[in-house]
Amino acid sequence: MVTANVEALVRVAVEGQVSHPGLRGNFTVGFDDRPQMRPGMAGVTVNLRIGDRALGWQCDHGEPGVSAEGPSPNRHLALQVLAALGNRVRMTSGLAQGAIGTVTGKHAFVLIDFPADVLAEICPGDRLVVEAWGQGLQLLDHPRVTVRNLGPELLGALKFESDDGCGLTVPVVASLPARVMGAGIGMSSEWANCDVMLHDAALVDELGLANLRLGDLVVMEEQDHRYGRCFRSGWTSVGVVAHALGPTPGHGVGVVTILTGPAADLGTRADPGANVGDLLGLR
Amino acid sequence: MADRDNADLLVETRVMGQVTSPELSGGVYAVDSSGLPFVPIGSGGIKYNVKVGMSAFGWAGDQVEPGVSLAHPQAAANAALSTFACVGNTVQVRTGMAAGALGTVTGKHEEFVTYQHVLVDFDEETLAKLCPGDQAVVRAHGTGLALADASDVTLHSLDPGLWRKLTRPARGQALVEIPVVAVVPPHLVGIGSGRLSAATSICLQLGCRDDLGQLGLDDLRLGDLVAVTDWDGRYNTGYRPGAMLIGCVSTGTSRLAGYGPSLTILASGRGGQLGATIDPEANIARLLAVGTWRQP
Repeated sequence: MVTANVEALVRVAVEGQVSHPGLRGNFTVGFDDRPQMRPGMAGVTVNLRIGDRALGWQCDHGEPGVSAEGPSPNRHLALQVLAALGNRVRMTSGLAQGAIGTVTGKHAFVLIDFPADVLAEICPGDRLVVEAWGQGLQLLDHPRVTVRNLGPELLGALKFESDDGCGLTVPVVASLPARVMGAGIGMSSEWANCDVMLHDAALVDELGLANLRLGDLVVMEEQDHRYGRCFRSGWTSVGVVAHALGPTPGHGVGVVTILTGPAADLGTRADPGANVGDLLGLR
Repeated sequence: MADRDNADLLVETRVMGQVTSPELSGGVYAVDSSGLPFVPIGSGGIKYNVKVGMSAFGWAGDQVEPGVSLAHPQAAANAALSTFACVGNTVQVRTGMAAGALGTVTGKHEEFVTYQHVLVDFDEETLAKLCPGDQAVVRAHGTGLALADASDVTLHSLDPGLWRKLTRPARGQALVEIPVVAVVPPHLVGIGSGRLSAATSICLQLGCRDDLGQLGLDDLRLGDLVAVTDWDGRYNTGYRPGAMLIGCVSTGTSRLAGYGPSLTILASGRGGQLGATIDPEANIARLLAVGTWRQP
């Protein structure tokens, strides 16, 4: 068990609403050099949930469950930055009013899981409140490990191993080399996620990622995600698979960072079952 | 040897831009990759003392754009400016005290959801007269440039005249060869993945490294040509094993995480038809006789 400053964290209600898909009327060009026009971003994705596979869908950045947005640009930014994985969400309007969901990821929207029967009743425009909790979280025995986008709810469910030498070990499903880190490098660590460019079939096989699932914990090698995301030798970052593959080069499967630090302080061990949906009992 | 291009079929058009003024939409302080705040200066406006041909490193600034940064205030028109303007195109000032003066496009620079600029080199006399808000027209020529015998090679943002100075007879397996000062691996590409290649730049994330000498990049200059292996810039920019991208350094470096000198994308090959040969003098300012190579 790791000790953290959870008692010091402010828990704040942030308003949001269920977004609606938008198209700009032009095709994107896929990794296969062909025009693509696929659903998956924004709105309610009814048949894609945390725990489902991340590759193989006919989608564009398929966001599982509900994709929530803020009602104005500044409030949207607050929602993005303050929401953390594991946070509780309450529907405040619509047929699913009163239903409880869980933040499971971030993209341009905050991604929220609900039970299947609730998801079927949710509609674009429905309002919700994210009980945002996690900004400022610190692991007190691991000062060189920086926390990002991690709610205390998920912190408590992660199966950490913490040794006396201040090393922290996190179970992960897979390891991602620096060369596949795409759109998201250079952006704020709290904004959306980093796309992992898993388009090439041979590469997916080589990395053993064919069965990657939404919610899987993964390690991003040689990545420093403290103040924006960048390559840094000797560093490592741990994240959660947030959305399914986008077909355009430079894009891919989105990974939200939860921990980053020097590799000497932040270790990982292989665990094919390390999935946030399972850890939080969502599926 | 793929020297048959379609330059005589290219449509030449006119796109307008305005001399920009710097903006601070992200607040006063930016935060660098190690968590230190700093005030970013260098993008937008007129940089009197930063010219293509000078070092890409060392400036007390962030993503410094050499010379004059143009943009169109209307988003759709700026998209056209950013796409159709080509490196090497002639620019003419149309309003203000420098009206009539001529300059040369030296690069393009995109910042995530913030701006897209076209960068122009002018002589000292013109720089002294220019003012933010002055109108300039780009004699846009180069969009659609293609090679008859190298269908896997896509050219972007290249004036046909510059293209013919740039390419060299191929010696190895490649059909097209371009001189570059360095060839870098794909994990050094920073922000810019997924962007639209014809209108953009990508960053090399070199801003927080102390091993530039080992990478052969410590002498990198604005305008230098650089190749990235396993990177595809034909449509959207992204990782592709076996591909290659070649661009010119359009801005100075940056301390931001995932940032560094920007490369304006010029040529991309999907699978081996495009090659790069090392030449420490490979710089578009030298080929265009602008910036530090401008004749008085």
